[in-house]
Amino acid sequence: MKRTTLAIALAVLAWTAWDTGADPIRLGRGIPWLLDFVRRMLPPDLRVLPAALVGALKTVEIALLGTAMAAALALPLGFLSARNVASPAVFHPARVALNFFRSIDTLVYALVFVAAVGLGPFPGVLAVVAYTTTSLAKLYSEAIEGIDRGPVDAITATGATRLQILRYGVLPQVLPLFLSYVLYRLETNIRAATILGFVGAGGIGFYLQTYLRMIDYRAASTVLLVTVVMVMVVDAVSSRLRARLI
Amino acid sequence: MIEVAGLRVVLPPAVVAVDGVDLTVGAGEFVVILGRSGAGKTTFLRALNRLVEPTAGVVRIAGRPLTGADATTLRTLRRQVGMVFQQFNLVRRASVVDNVLAGRLGWAPTLPTLLGRFAADDRRIALDCLAQVGLAELAGRRADTLSGGEQQRVAIARALAQAPSSLDPTLTNSIMDLLKRINTQRGLTLVVSQHQLETALAYATRIVGFRRGRVVFDGPPARLTPPAAAAIYAEDPGP
Repeated sequence: MKRTTLAIALAVLAWTAWDTGADPIRLGRGIPWLLDFVRRMLPPDLRVLPAALVGALKTVEIALLGTAMAAALALPLGFLSARNVASPAVFHPARVALNFFRSIDTLVYALVFVAAVGLGPFPGVLAVVAYTTTSLAKLYSEAIEGIDRGPVDAITATGATRLQILRYGVLPQVLPLFLSYVLYRLETNIRAATILGFVGAGGIGFYLQTYLRMIDYRAASTVLLVTVVMVMVVDAVSSRLRARLI
Repeated sequence: MIEVAGLRVVLPPAVVAVDGVDLTVGAGEFVVILGRSGAGKTTFLRALNRLVEPTAGVVRIAGRPLTGADATTLRTLRRQVGMVFQQFNLVRRASVVDNVLAGRLGWAPTLPTLLGRFAADDRRIALDCLAQVGLAELAGRRADTLSGGEQQRVAIARALAQAPSSLDPTLTNSIMDLLKRINTQRGLTLVVSQHQLETALAYATRIVGFRRGRVVFDGPPARLTPPAAAAIYAEDPGP
């Protein structure tokens, strides 16, 4: 049984390697080109630094605004799709809808929103909201399903209304988790937002793509460096905040 | 007054936890429920507040039926019954005083409380109840920084906040002493689940013995003879 499974797995991997043209020799032949690419990126052209910083700021703005809006929008959805809070008639359809919309990536949403509202950071914000709302709602609902039943019983026993039970029995238990998920999504959204510019949805990705197209690799490397620093700074700040929450 | 008639609770999948209990608890009584674990004590207590839905039978609080009551009636009846749980069931991350304030939720209007607002009177009652259990100085602490004994007192204060009245601030160390004072000074009816026989005998005005979901003893502590106690705690026959 185990041997058959292993054989099937290996066969599948071999087929995918053949079908995708994965070829170590080809990679070896490409290495000089890679080195040449890196050589042409150095030294970074610092004259484009101000433009890159403006782009980075836009990207942070897209991620911040998008994540904040999604964090709020996901709240009701999270409660509606939690098995232990919502009635089955509500949470089953809610779950299906969340899974459907969550399977579409931010970049695909960006393509759709660029077509709908035009170029710029705004479709980027909408794309971040669309994907993050559903993914946060899923995380929220799982946090709600994992709560300790005790405080809920205790609040119920005082004669509290349903909303009061959610506010005083459930929310205090899940809020730190929610905030930690939001910060985590902010980190991933900063990364997602860097490439949104590739499809015209604003931010630092727009500059990276422009310089690459102009074959101005030294300018592109400056943009890359700014991107790396931006992501590292946001990650560091966010993970420090998260560590405080748990 | 608590009146229970023909109460039966079947828990999923098909566990008969309470099996036809009739019991009337008069105002001001201090009833201690004894029984082995699994005898149905906890389920019975939870059914008194409809935290578990009875399968059959009637529960009346102060003459009004709790069973079959609509949501609004249920809430008004629940706020007359303070519950203190075995695991205290405090909101761990909330402050001590916020945990006690939760006891006022049944009386407070929903909308302001959703925003975290309570009337000044509710806050005064909460602090007062904390003082009554001897924890006034811990009001601002987070609940999960307290010892087990302190958390139990907070849970008692939360239950007291549902029906405020005056009680001298306490200095007593024992929870049962505290409950006894609440019972005598405030005249509150108490139904307490206990494992320890000696404790029950020392504090209760009435003992109710549970065995396999049924009442097998009901009477004053003096009447709980060794054979009667043995009947409550007897090993269950094997399947």
